[in-house]
Amino acid sequence: MPDFPISGFHGRVLVADLTRGEVRTVPLDPDTALRYLGGRGLGTRLLYDTIDPSCDPLGPDNAFVIASSPLVGSSAPTAGRGHMVFKSPLTDVIGTSNSGGTWGAAFKSAGYDALVVKGAAASPVMLDIAPGRAEILPADDIWGKTTHETNDILAAASEPGRPARVLCIGPAGENLVRFAAVANDRNRVYGRCGPGAVWGSKKLKAIRVRGREKICIADKEKYQSGHDQAIYLMKQAPVTKRLMRDLGTAGLVELINLISMLPHKNFQDCLHRDEDVERISGETLAKTLLEKAGSCYLCPIGCQRHTRVAGRSGGMESGEGPEYETMVLMGPLCGIYDMAAITRANYRANELGLDTMSYGGTLACAMELAERGLIAASGTGRGPLAFGDAEALEALVGMTSRREGLGASLAEGSYRLAAGLGRPDLAMTVKKLEIPAYDPRASFTQALGYMTSPSGACHLRGGYAVSLAFFGGAREIPRFSLIQSPIAIRNMQNTGILQDSLGVCRFTGYAFSADPWARMVSGVTGRDFSVARLEEIENRVATLERQFNVEAGATAEDDALPDRFADVPVVVEGRERRVTREDQERMKRDYYAVRGWDADGRPGPGLLRALRIEESRR
Amino acid sequence: MTIKAKFFAYFRDLFGGREIGVAVGEGATVGDALAVLCDTPERRREIFAGDGLKPHLVVMLNGVPVQSLRGLETPLSSGDTLAIFPILGGG
Repeated sequence: MPDFPISGFHGRVLVADLTRGEVRTVPLDPDTALRYLGGRGLGTRLLYDTIDPSCDPLGPDNAFVIASSPLVGSSAPTAGRGHMVFKSPLTDVIGTSNSGGTWGAAFKSAGYDALVVKGAAASPVMLDIAPGRAEILPADDIWGKTTHETNDILAAASEPGRPARVLCIGPAGENLVRFAAVANDRNRVYGRCGPGAVWGSKKLKAIRVRGREKICIADKEKYQSGHDQAIYLMKQAPVTKRLMRDLGTAGLVELINLISMLPHKNFQDCLHRDEDVERISGETLAKTLLEKAGSCYLCPIGCQRHTRVAGRSGGMESGEGPEYETMVLMGPLCGIYDMAAITRANYRANELGLDTMSYGGTLACAMELAERGLIAASGTGRGPLAFGDAEALEALVGMTSRREGLGASLAEGSYRLAAGLGRPDLAMTVKKLEIPAYDPRASFTQALGYMTSPSGACHLRGGYAVSLAFFGGAREIPRFSLIQSPIAIRNMQNTGILQDSLGVCRFTGYAFSADPWARMVSGVTGRDFSVARLEEIENRVATLERQFNVEAGATAEDDALPDRFADVPVVVEGRERRVTREDQERMKRDYYAVRGWDADGRPGPGLLRALRIEESRR
Repeated sequence: MTIKAKFFAYFRDLFGGREIGVAVGEGATVGDALAVLCDTPERRREIFAGDGLKPHLVVMLNGVPVQSLRGLETPLSSGDTLAIFPILGGG
């Protein structure tokens, strides 16, 4: 492989074709690297060049890409995340998901910038990757194992100074649960949009990586100036300095309730008793179940919750979580305020390889369907399903992963579950992805984020408007501004694209924005990545994701909230709030204009040319 | 009159609880109530920066950030709830 002209990259893409049983290394195109950077940007481009967006997401024509970034391998804070891109079997549009842990950094040190996996094997396989060597190995003996078991078996191949890191699916992925996750370090997961089911459809159980290849930093002084600024600012901002370590993300629970945004019973309202909310707060978690905080690769923030909880049938269990989203979506969204039950269900979901968010959303949907008489029995041997049933929450994690009884219906996700019973309006999803734990009626900006997120209702891809709307940004953007929301959410989505394309954590955004990253990435690569140039990349990636979705068959009609949010108000700051269809249309139209898309939300040929988005090379 | 003050995250340790009642005079403002609460130099240091609120701090009156009302000059009524917390994120 010739030396790559841009520092920070290895210049190599590993391509595995599981149908043919072949692995080969292809050169990374330098122009593609400069235009798409890494992570989500590079991954999206490589996926677009590999698959037809209209393909069957669970067929051999789908592929997934995991991409690293030029910052991974440097000392940049949090720069070790990997990003996975694929066509989602849950949403039928682009699936894009991100994880911390250590696998992403280990993959880069194995000497590759990205991995493309296509085709499907006839029997279970795994990929084993090390510098200069990558092979497909049989995996029959680990098929059926949990993510923890798989991790521990394969990580035993570690050598001194060269630990083996494992990315794998659990039984949920093997059984094609549409919201199955992919895990590394046992409990760090690529959770959303069902990447685990894509792996399962390919009979791919795990990817093990080992390596110690380094990257070069072209301009050390420039890099260091950005790095030092970032570290300084992270030590100043309370979120990155201590709050995440003290409380974890569940520190938000009481605050989100305070601003009438904490969803309840499948988004029927946002009404909770304060004493119930206190039972599942980050403060309570810190005082009861928390053993210690933990960190991902090169992270000074430390939001991980390493916890211990009494088992349902005696003894103590330990694991990770719950985080905010899990706590609320498996909790109050299902009418449950039992932290121990939520924690145990979280442990099981991690072991079996399920996205806790879509599981909570789907269970809440099933509970409402049951209370309306549309689901007769829970299949747990405990009578009909009902809101507040914490035992069912725990029992159904396993049943969903194995597709047993009602679990087989839950495994399809809320939309297919509710639509199959004639009530698609009871699925609280956008583009069939379950809505995160912030009620969109309490912020128009967040509502628009869910509507326009490329991967369906996701707070990380759609824009995280909560901080913007309330926590310190209130002077800038009122949370009910129809006029300001489109530009605000575009900017937040773009910030997310940058972070995902650099392989860094969202939470750095509480301390600093693009400038230190611009200096770090310019320093590593030796190329001029100004903030303006990074913005060009962000816009390019957003429009390419949109183009992918258009070719996958998505239309402007898919950029809409479920009827409940337009028809049923919640009370916020003493006023009834809903997101009417007219308000949705207006924000959507303005957002398309801000993005440069046409009135139907399609990128035109002129825009694609201006952004230098070439046609697919497939 | 009496209002309620609710604390989150490390402010619970600083102010010694989740929620306390604060007695203020008729016509008192948010700034007046915070001044009553900040009866030690340490408390004052965590809430005020000069004449204004510290950065990275959010004060809400009945669920509305006071920055979008009249800031520290916002008048209080009996039974109001002030919530005090550091800027916090997650998800």
